[in-house]
Amino acid sequence: MTRTAMDDAIERLRMMMLIRAFEAALAKRRDHGFQLLSAGEEAVAVGLCSALGPKDQLLTGGRSIGPALARGVDPRRLAAELLGKIDGINRGRAGRGHLSDVNSGFFGAHAVVGGNISIAAGVALAKKMEGDGALVAVLFGDGATGAGALHETLNLAAIWKLPLLFVCNNNRLSVSASRSDMLAPKMLSDLGLSFGLESRTVDGMDLDTVTAAAQSAAETIRAVGGPLFLECVSERFAAHSTTARETRTADELAAIRGCCPIRLQMQRLRAASAIEAAAENALAQEIETRVAEAFAFADASPYPHPEEVLTDVG
Amino acid sequence: MSADPAPAVKKMFFREAIARAMREEMTRNPRVLILGQDVGAFGGSYREFDGLFAAFGAERVRDTPVAEAATVGIGVGLAAAGFRPLVSITYMDFIMLGFDPLINYGAKLRYKTGGKMTAPIVVKTTAGALGQGVAHSQCLEAWLMSVPGIKVVAPSTPGDAYGLMKTALRADGPVVYIDHKRLFPIPGEVPLEETAIPFGHAIVRRAGSDVTITTHSFMVRVALDAAKKLEENGISCEVIDLRSLAPLDIETVTASVARTGALLTLEEGQATCGVGVEVAAQIQERHAPLRWARVGAQRAPVSSNPVLEAACVPDASRVVQAVRKLLGK
Repeated sequence: MTRTAMDDAIERLRMMMLIRAFEAALAKRRDHGFQLLSAGEEAVAVGLCSALGPKDQLLTGGRSIGPALARGVDPRRLAAELLGKIDGINRGRAGRGHLSDVNSGFFGAHAVVGGNISIAAGVALAKKMEGDGALVAVLFGDGATGAGALHETLNLAAIWKLPLLFVCNNNRLSVSASRSDMLAPKMLSDLGLSFGLESRTVDGMDLDTVTAAAQSAAETIRAVGGPLFLECVSERFAAHSTTARETRTADELAAIRGCCPIRLQMQRLRAASAIEAAAENALAQEIETRVAEAFAFADASPYPHPEEVLTDVG
Repeated sequence: MSADPAPAVKKMFFREAIARAMREEMTRNPRVLILGQDVGAFGGSYREFDGLFAAFGAERVRDTPVAEAATVGIGVGLAAAGFRPLVSITYMDFIMLGFDPLINYGAKLRYKTGGKMTAPIVVKTTAGALGQGVAHSQCLEAWLMSVPGIKVVAPSTPGDAYGLMKTALRADGPVVYIDHKRLFPIPGEVPLEETAIPFGHAIVRRAGSDVTITTHSFMVRVALDAAKKLEENGISCEVIDLRSLAPLDIETVTASVARTGALLTLEEGQATCGVGVEVAAQIQERHAPLRWARVGAQRAPVSSNPVLEAACVPDASRVVQAVRKLLGK
């Protein structure tokens, strides 16, 4: 591993750890409704964002906190947003399902399942017409692949050759419904194939695998155009939301959590002698501090004044 | 030399007025583009985009497959990313397929980003009954009026079609622009000078003193026909063309009602939770209790059967009857 590659790998590990710790701190809060967390799915967010440049944009579904952090959204302003405070990236109005920070390349979350997909194609068409070589990635869950919006958009993106990377984070659960009971295709990437898209399915629990696949897809879109379809098979460690009932048994959950993308990456870096015990501890400490600072910032920020209810309506 | 000024207006059909507004705005702003079914070389289902494909090319006059949901979604995405798309939906009934991106995303974008982003999209669609049946005839403007963040306009003349389209293509957020099949064969005067008609301004089409009739789109013509008949019976109707339903120019209506003391609301869509109900409620909030009656479609789908269609949607004789009953004359 070269020095740069090692630095990049540690940076990606750091981001996965930040997402896990940030969401864990958020999960402890009971003062702002339910939250949609992504423990177990960090490699998908971080691997995907490693392929995106500053001019690119990412759109996601409602499970957006990990991807937003991976895209570089300020954790302090993100925490404020999630707790409904006016120093949030959207003045505390968007919350868990609708975060956006275009300047960070995070065009936004949209919590209608599948609802972000056609919008992402519109952003991709804008990028194509502007001709600045930027691409758009849209991240959605397996639940969204049953929605007509995906199928209509795959067709349009294909005929218009949009610079759009469809990324399905297939955690195989749509709230309580299992992917095998709800979705007919053998592989969800087959949906991309049926519209003539270059399509792949990869292990979403392995950061290096997702990173390589996302970077390769982005290079292809930049070199010869899009769209492309990437399916990342992942595990959701927790229930659908912080207030949703868990449908899996304790034994099942223990088995699922046995395969952790962060632990896997840590082991890999240790084996390559890229990280030492002292550095691991320093990393964990640094992340704990950043998360504490983020929530302290959020706690110090006020709620909006009720009169704000009528501002910026339209 | 003649002292007569050159004519300041030209007779045009709706489709010509719309095409002119599009051409001017597409020339003025390279970020204006059109998406929809049959909008390209075909020139639009009603020929309202005639000549634009040749002038601006396939990038900016973009044919789409039969995919209203994704087309509206792509439209709001383009708008959020800095373009000004007009998405053409051939029949207003099909706008339902695009409600998710339009209402759940486009209408909320400015609010949910604290004013940092907007979705300046125009969804242009055609409403109204003309023999095409239960899913090609509906007037759904009242549904849209209830959505915060969406502007809704419904011109009744080619001049307004032109001027309101100009404003729609410069507006900050989603606009639903509704024309009407029965208005297409009727020419009207359009100013030669480039003009935009601001939203939120109703216009008095006929002055009167006994009753105020508020309406929009094709029903303006029905109201004017009824007013003519009622005049023969000594009843003087003031006919107000709302033109812009959201924002609604309630001041013009209030001023009229203050003089006439009676309000008849008329629309082609359902009277239940209709445009007229909203107009009447807002008037009641500003004015002493007044005599009000509403006329809208019968509470039934609009069939393609000519007898049933005519029985369903309002006509001048129903308006005449309703006004007489309201005034007790």
